[in-house]
Amino acid sequence: MKRPLKYCLLAIGLLAAGGLRPLWEAPMTREFRATGLLAAPVGLDTRDRIGQTSSAVALGGLRTLVATFLNLRAYTCFTDKRWSEVADTYDLMVDLAPQTTQYWDMGSWHMAYNAASDYRIDSSLPPARRREAWREWILRGEAFLRRGIRNNPGDWKLLAALGRLCSAPDKLRDYAAAADAFKAAADTGQALPYVRRFQLYSLARCPGREREALEMARQLYQEPGNRSTTFVSVLFVLEEKAAPSLDPASHAAALFGGPMLAYNELSLFWLRQNERFPVDGVAAALTALETQLVIPKNKSVFTKAVRRDETPDEWFQDDSELMREELYDQQGIAPRRK
Amino acid sequence: MTHATSRKLPFARLRRISVIAGHAFTQLARMKVFYFLAIFAVIAIASNFFDLPQHSGSEAMGAEGLDILRLIKSWSLGAMTLFSVVFGIVSTALLLPKDVEDRTLYTILAKPVPRLDYLVGKLCGVLLLLLVSLGLMDILMTVMLQIRMSIVLDVQKSLADAHHWTQAARDSLTHDTLLQGPTWSLQGAVVAVFLRAAVMAAVALLISTFSTSTLFTTVVSFLVYFIGHFQGDALGGPDGSQTAVARHIGQIIAVVFPDFQLFNVIDAVIQGKMMELAQFGKLVWAAAYYVGVYVVGSWFVFSDKEF
Repeated sequence: MKRPLKYCLLAIGLLAAGGLRPLWEAPMTREFRATGLLAAPVGLDTRDRIGQTSSAVALGGLRTLVATFLNLRAYTCFTDKRWSEVADTYDLMVDLAPQTTQYWDMGSWHMAYNAASDYRIDSSLPPARRREAWREWILRGEAFLRRGIRNNPGDWKLLAALGRLCSAPDKLRDYAAAADAFKAAADTGQALPYVRRFQLYSLARCPGREREALEMARQLYQEPGNRSTTFVSVLFVLEEKAAPSLDPASHAAALFGGPMLAYNELSLFWLRQNERFPVDGVAAALTALETQLVIPKNKSVFTKAVRRDETPDEWFQDDSELMREELYDQQGIAPRRK
Repeated sequence: MTHATSRKLPFARLRRISVIAGHAFTQLARMKVFYFLAIFAVIAIASNFFDLPQHSGSEAMGAEGLDILRLIKSWSLGAMTLFSVVFGIVSTALLLPKDVEDRTLYTILAKPVPRLDYLVGKLCGVLLLLLVSLGLMDILMTVMLQIRMSIVLDVQKSLADAHHWTQAARDSLTHDTLLQGPTWSLQGAVVAVFLRAAVMAAVALLISTFSTSTLFTTVVSFLVYFIGHFQGDALGGPDGSQTAVARHIGQIIAVVFPDFQLFNVIDAVIQGKMMELAQFGKLVWAAAYYVGVYVVGSWFVFSDKEF
């Protein structure tokens, strides 16, 4: 057979074989996409931004590897405090590996926590601009996280991260949004037990929802593993709010398992005023317990410095203010023996 | 026994193919390709030390170690992909010209060896070497992951004990960790790497049957590889900005070139997704279809080629 004819026949054969492919290939691709085994194709915008070399590598079936290298680049930008580049790099990373929830989590953390805190204490900027930048980066981090949640519906870690962000003491403090996020995380059925407690803590700080919070707290109290310092303190204040006629000292002693334990744990709770927990009955209980336990005046909790509940108006009042360390809920305190 | 009789013996074809495959395997192994395993070992070990700081603390709840497991998988599978594709293409592109140069081809074809057997034997030799190499890399990666995962699980256990976690909480975290460790899905991803390389080797074999140089075969094969990965975009990816002409060109490309998008399940597996056996079977079918088509095409061109 003549060569040109042979090559023509080969081309026809390849075209015929290629023509048959969609019969099985298209449903297969659809199925793989639906089950999350295949990500969406890399967009033109992403290809432009990661550059020709990385684009070629990504198109060569190494998207995850490119994202890994971009992660190293993002870390360098983070150490140099080049926040816009950090945000851009994380945008690329999640385009390449949208199902790696860690990238969404880390990206939002860099934006809402690191960048926002950096601008908050940036003495080279006037207060108004610092405040604007601080707020903008928190919102960017939140938006990034919400995009991650849309891309990974049902991922409890991202939902919990959103809850933490919304309820953080030095952020925007949207407790209703935090409660919703923690609830969604806990409702996945895969979240760790602390998430449900965090839902309660956010709920307790939503004005008008104390009754709902109290019912939830009582339900959670049935599980001994939930009885951390914060949890029992929140239950105490919610019960005090619902029934102000209760004697705070004996109520606290009964709930905490003894007056000394009650005094120590309520003292810790009292000092955390920056977290805006309700404190109904706490001062009265502490005063009564100090009398009962004969606590010396100089050891009184009321002589200690509380973490004041400050507002952004105070933070950005002048340029000399230093960043205060934010206090997270002390996870993992062993439940008290009953 | 005459040649005609010997050719009709049961399994004679299989035996012929296995002899040619064994020869090709030996030929390639002598090229010191296994030295790459040393580089792979360095990559796998190095990936353990890229532990970037992250917001750990109490809210991470023992999940900090998971990203390292992902990193090990990502680097290892990336190295496997690079090695297997480069090796699959280059070694296949070398085989025919090398046999012509050594005059081995004339010796073989002078005997009553069907040309299809010769081609299949050569391809099987390349695939065997790929299989052995990927198998060794897989063992190294799995051992690495297992060791690291044990460390992560131990840390989590101490954390859980210290915090008096419930069994449900422990199970939840352990489940997340095990998904990032050595799973059957991960083995499936390694097989997907092999299948993609097998398709590329078959493509290179087809090109080498009518190509005049090794370099041409290699370059064109790599182009086919990238076009195969580009297909998803060519057919209207997320941009949706293609004109009608571009879409038609994309459809023609899709018919002519293999679509490697399917093999990108590797990325999802790295992220901890599970691949079901049925899906794995479909992936094997896809690769078998491509390899079959390209081998038949190679044989069609090679069957009456004069040397």
